[in-house]
Amino acid sequence: MKGIRGISQLSRRFYAAARKGQSLTEPLVGLKLSPGAAHSYQDVHVSKLPSGLVITSLENYSPASKIGVFIRAGCRYETPDNQGVTHLLRLASNLTTKGASAFKICRGIEAVGGSLSVSSSRENMMYVVDCLRDDIDTVMEFLINVTTAPEFRPWEVSDLTPRVKLDKAQAAQNPQLGVVEALHAAAYKNALCNSLYCPDHMVDHIHSEHLHQFVQNNFTSARMALVGLGVEHSVLKQVGEQFLNIRGGAGASGAKALYRGGEVRLSSLSGLVHSAVVSQSAAAGTGEALAFSVLQHVLGAGPHIKRGSGGSSKLVQGVAKATADPFDVSAFHASYSDSGLFGVYTISRAAAAGDVVRAALTQVKAVADGGVTAADLTRAKAQLKGQFLMSLETTEGLLEAMGSQALADGSYHTQEEISKNIDNVSLTDVANAAKKFVMGKKTMASSGNLKTTPFVDEI
Amino acid sequence: MASRAPAATGRLMLGVRKWYYNLCGFNKLGLMRDDTIYEDSDVKEALRRLPENVYNDRTFRMKRAFDLSMKQQILPKDQWTKYEEDVYYLTPYLEEVIRERKEREEWMKK
Repeated sequence: MKGIRGISQLSRRFYAAARKGQSLTEPLVGLKLSPGAAHSYQDVHVSKLPSGLVITSLENYSPASKIGVFIRAGCRYETPDNQGVTHLLRLASNLTTKGASAFKICRGIEAVGGSLSVSSSRENMMYVVDCLRDDIDTVMEFLINVTTAPEFRPWEVSDLTPRVKLDKAQAAQNPQLGVVEALHAAAYKNALCNSLYCPDHMVDHIHSEHLHQFVQNNFTSARMALVGLGVEHSVLKQVGEQFLNIRGGAGASGAKALYRGGEVRLSSLSGLVHSAVVSQSAAAGTGEALAFSVLQHVLGAGPHIKRGSGGSSKLVQGVAKATADPFDVSAFHASYSDSGLFGVYTISRAAAAGDVVRAALTQVKAVADGGVTAADLTRAKAQLKGQFLMSLETTEGLLEAMGSQALADGSYHTQEEISKNIDNVSLTDVANAAKKFVMGKKTMASSGNLKTTPFVDEI
Repeated sequence: MASRAPAATGRLMLGVRKWYYNLCGFNKLGLMRDDTIYEDSDVKEALRRLPENVYNDRTFRMKRAFDLSMKQQILPKDQWTKYEEDVYYLTPYLEEVIRERKEREEWMKK
């Protein structure tokens, strides 16, 4: 026994001795490198076709590729006649197209081990496929079919109704979603007030023609971006030129969002009251919006330690003085291409709701009156930079960032650029942002047992 | 059915087809050819896909035909369905259903 073990140990020692002269960072002599091996650092390439399509790609030498088609066709572009069409579109991504039946799309993508997903925000819709690097052609064909040549057969569209109802039922389980949708509906007169989900009165009434019309008017080349991770830029360019300029022009232009400031109260028997108080902030991409983001982190934007008590958050400290009941409070900031919302989001017990909301707003007022120290500012900037950079760590986050930037201004801003912009935000910018919130017309949305929750004109 | 004759001999067979159509007799009850098709699972799926107005017309024709056959009557000659007016409304949907089923079976075989 001992002898045999000794022999195997011997061979290991010989091997180790043979490798001693080799550096561990150089490949072994005589070894052929596979094409997927890392070479040099690549930058993000951006180019714009004459049709208006923006193509962005990054070669990250990963064995799996991700390709996304981003379209500026979110729910803000719905008209009063076809409210809820984007919800149906999200569910209709696997329906029959001119080049492939629904069955073939599903099995074809499964056969190569890829996946097709679609998600939409208020501004953009994104169709993303990921697959292994060698199978790009197959899934690209399906992606192009789904985005440019869907057939929306009437019976397939009416078969989507149960899925719409399921989506809405699942969303109803989440009180935050309800409050945020209600907030937008109360804050804006048009465009941004449209909900991400199909309204109840339209559930069975969105038909194939609505979908066709929406695609015809909004899925145009000038409003699309083709983004790839782990794909050659030339391949994407070829696909963009050949397939994605079926509908040219800018399509129907969306209306500018008009802020109105209102209130929505959703009474329910829930023991916890969710309440959001916001005011208009700035459009995304402006320096003001960045100041609001920094202000969001100054005030406190969620816990940074799992199961922690949010100690560094000003809002949490302020509200803790007002109530002993369990609560949660964070700053809320959402910015869109022509407007934004900034405020506070509170969760509290029904009896303490009024105190919590008032304490949170007092805290923001304190910041507006100059209660921010330089240390707070540095901490907030570091947290904002950390959150942003960590969102780029995953391929989904990176693809989404590249796509949103491509759609917003047709280019890609590097991490260094954005970090520098964050560093340039000054104390006065943050104080001004807080003053804008305090002075601005408020919008409020609350849900739960609202017996102590104040009205928007009482706060 | 005689109407499956190849298109190349269309003009020659036209007379025969019209004679056979009138011989079949369902046009005397005001029915169209696709109203009489046997409802197997493919046809049921194709019927599900019909637009609402076409489906309602079909239901009306079938109801009228049931009523006439119960009373052992037929329509007056000017209301019989003419060969030229007979629209094969279900055939495109049926062919699509069969094509989809065959695609599924092909895939399963692999």
